[in-house]
Amino acid sequence: MTGALDGLKVADFSWVVAGPVVGRALADFGATVVRVESSTRIETARMMQPFYDGKPGAENSALYGTCNAGKLGLTLDLKQPEGQAVARDLIRWADVVVESFSPGQMARWGLDYDSVQPQNPSVIMVSTSLMGQTGPAAKLAGYGNIGASASGYQDLVGWPDRPPIGPFGPYTDYVGPRFSLVLLLAALDRRRLTGLGCHLDVAQSEIGVFLLSPQLAEYFDRGTVAARRGNDDERFAPHGVFGCLPEGDEDRFVAVAVTSDAQWRALAAELGRPELADDPRYATAAARVAAGGELADLVAAWTAGQRAADVEARLQRCGVPAHVAASSADWSRDAQLAHRGHLRALPDEQFGTATVEGPRYLLSETPGEVRRPAPRLGQDNEYVLRTLLGYDAAACARLADADVLT
Amino acid sequence: MSLLGGYRILDLSDERGLLAGRMLADLGADVVQVEPPGGSTAREATPQSDAGSYFWDTFAANKRGIVADLATPDGRHLVRRLTLRADFLIESAGPCVLTGLGLGWPQLREVNPALVYGTVTAFGHDGPKSGYAESDLIVWAAGGPLQPNRDEDRPPLRMSVEHAFLNAAADLAGGMLIAHHARARTGRGQLVDVSAQASLGLNTLGRVLADSVRDPRPEWAIVSPTKRTDQSGSGSGTSSHLKKWPCRDGLVEFHLAMGTAVGGFTNNFFRWLHDEGACSDRVAAWDWRVMPKLVEAGEFTEGDMTEVRAATADFLAARTKAEILDAAIRYKLLCIGISDTADLAASAQLAARGYFAAVGEGPRRRTMPARWATGSIEPVELRRPAPLVGEHTAEVLADWLGDDRALSAAGSGEELG
Repeated sequence: MTGALDGLKVADFSWVVAGPVVGRALADFGATVVRVESSTRIETARMMQPFYDGKPGAENSALYGTCNAGKLGLTLDLKQPEGQAVARDLIRWADVVVESFSPGQMARWGLDYDSVQPQNPSVIMVSTSLMGQTGPAAKLAGYGNIGASASGYQDLVGWPDRPPIGPFGPYTDYVGPRFSLVLLLAALDRRRLTGLGCHLDVAQSEIGVFLLSPQLAEYFDRGTVAARRGNDDERFAPHGVFGCLPEGDEDRFVAVAVTSDAQWRALAAELGRPELADDPRYATAAARVAAGGELADLVAAWTAGQRAADVEARLQRCGVPAHVAASSADWSRDAQLAHRGHLRALPDEQFGTATVEGPRYLLSETPGEVRRPAPRLGQDNEYVLRTLLGYDAAACARLADADVLT
Repeated sequence: MSLLGGYRILDLSDERGLLAGRMLADLGADVVQVEPPGGSTAREATPQSDAGSYFWDTFAANKRGIVADLATPDGRHLVRRLTLRADFLIESAGPCVLTGLGLGWPQLREVNPALVYGTVTAFGHDGPKSGYAESDLIVWAAGGPLQPNRDEDRPPLRMSVEHAFLNAAADLAGGMLIAHHARARTGRGQLVDVSAQASLGLNTLGRVLADSVRDPRPEWAIVSPTKRTDQSGSGSGTSSHLKKWPCRDGLVEFHLAMGTAVGGFTNNFFRWLHDEGACSDRVAAWDWRVMPKLVEAGEFTEGDMTEVRAATADFLAARTKAEILDAAIRYKLLCIGISDTADLAASAQLAARGYFAAVGEGPRRRTMPARWATGSIEPVELRRPAPLVGEHTAEVLADWLGDDRALSAAGSGEELG
């Protein structure tokens, strides 16, 4: 079987999440991806949770592991001219370059698109940054929490009577790479047909704003500013996340969403309040939304004495949308995710088994495959330099002696 | 030329898949949205406008619209005819719904073996939860990003915009283009199957892996940053409230980042305060790059943190979002005002990049995000407003099926609007 992207060569100069996730997807489908990083300025994701066995350390991060599985690892000091020369050779080798440095940094190293394109005319370079390569705020530094602030999300999660708390983690790091990948694959198709390369400028904050298109259209049309509303929904009630019996020292919750009259009647019966099923005060979705607070109290009182998984099972049996607010342990035991083979266990020298997420799209004929765990720092220096770039042993030794491969 | 010019996409999706076709349409593909005679349920998605739905108006933009009633043999026949001419098909009707109508992947691959057939469902087409009753919140709960996102004592919080299926639909667009590259080699199409639940693992910053890798207590919302140092740049391991600071015209997002990779940004912040005479030499002197070691050695205490936070709070309270943005660029700070949709609409950065555009005439006119990618490519542009029900039926049938013979063979007059 041939992978969809077999033979594709990718130089990955990106870091943390928004960039690396793109190269990870390409590697799953056959591309050879060389992840370039520094062993002295350790990339942020390597120092981020979760850690294998709970132990922090540059080789222990499962986040780094899942963002970079399937890649080859090259450590390189890009501040040294010799390091930049190796990077230029790698870019000359590559079909695709992914980078997520602060705008202008690649140019300072002579590695920007305009500098490298003459040596590799059909190269496609994806520059993914917080605010984009141009504009008055292009130089704004930041991670996805800054991106989530710059694109409206921090304000859109929270209770109406409290300050916002924002989404979990750096939201634009999740949505940015999904769009970067689509754009890159489209550009690769054009290159296949025409030989043309290009430079692609993806601002993670702009992808974030794009996914608020409906709310922006509403603002421009009516001046209505989108507001946070806890877990309430504009159209449906009851609709929320409800406390259940704690398990061990862990709080447990179940999400319940009634999206039709039939579901409301089924829920009323489960609550042991069949008389509410036909109560005109709750007969329509609009009436239930108006009575949202009291219905939420009713559901909360009912779930409080039950296990979350039992509530999910009871309500799903009668067709009411419900699911446990899944913890990490729920995820690793989830029968549906297991059915799809989503979590992938890989043989790993350090941990015995490394666990990473599988591809987020199952392809029936050319399925993605995670070929190896993420590289340890410098793991593939020799292979990349000798086999991919054709350096001889003496050249490699010179680079190592000059501390360029750090 | 546009990146995907010349490709035809038959889009049968509802609100759960609508975005995928919009993304590909933006890159130049000819995306034809198929709706039932009464219109797509995506026209009911929030936020609602006087005439319909801003969700529809934005995520169906750049598409053409036709009507086909899949409940009738004629409607199904029309879809099969169009499938013959399509490069991609997108659907989100729910597990096996279209297969039951003879329009699933097993059936349409017989019609067009080169078709890339993309499908997005809440949990997947088969498996123990495939039959689950679902909604965006339910998928958000099952996918992982809900549970850790708590505001102290209260239950976990979703985002007040529905994003479970938007993330999944964006994944679907990516998966379909990977299948397209496979087709370029083999000539054969394939099924691309996205589960929104599985898709959302990415939105947890690896947290869904904690149990598998035996991290017994990944403390995602530690109360005090001095108890266990959080060396992420975004403060992903730090309680949200510790990163939100009132300023003159709203709130500011600012995490006191520490560690070799990101501590320098915090040093920059206190250099700004010091330059403005707003903090003591003592506060300005801490080196946040080595802060984890100082904390470990007990050289930086809870009391020191209280002092640092007080200076930060006083200073930011007297600044505006615009002043803070200016300083963030000048001093290289991980610090920014929290934007609402009004701030976004007025953003100088977005304006400078030509990000928003208006499309449509009269009551259909909408202003919305448009240029989500730039570079040395033909700009991503809004070309047409979201279609009215069946607005382009005749035109699409002529374009895709050609002459009148094909047109009459395709279905009954009533469906041609």
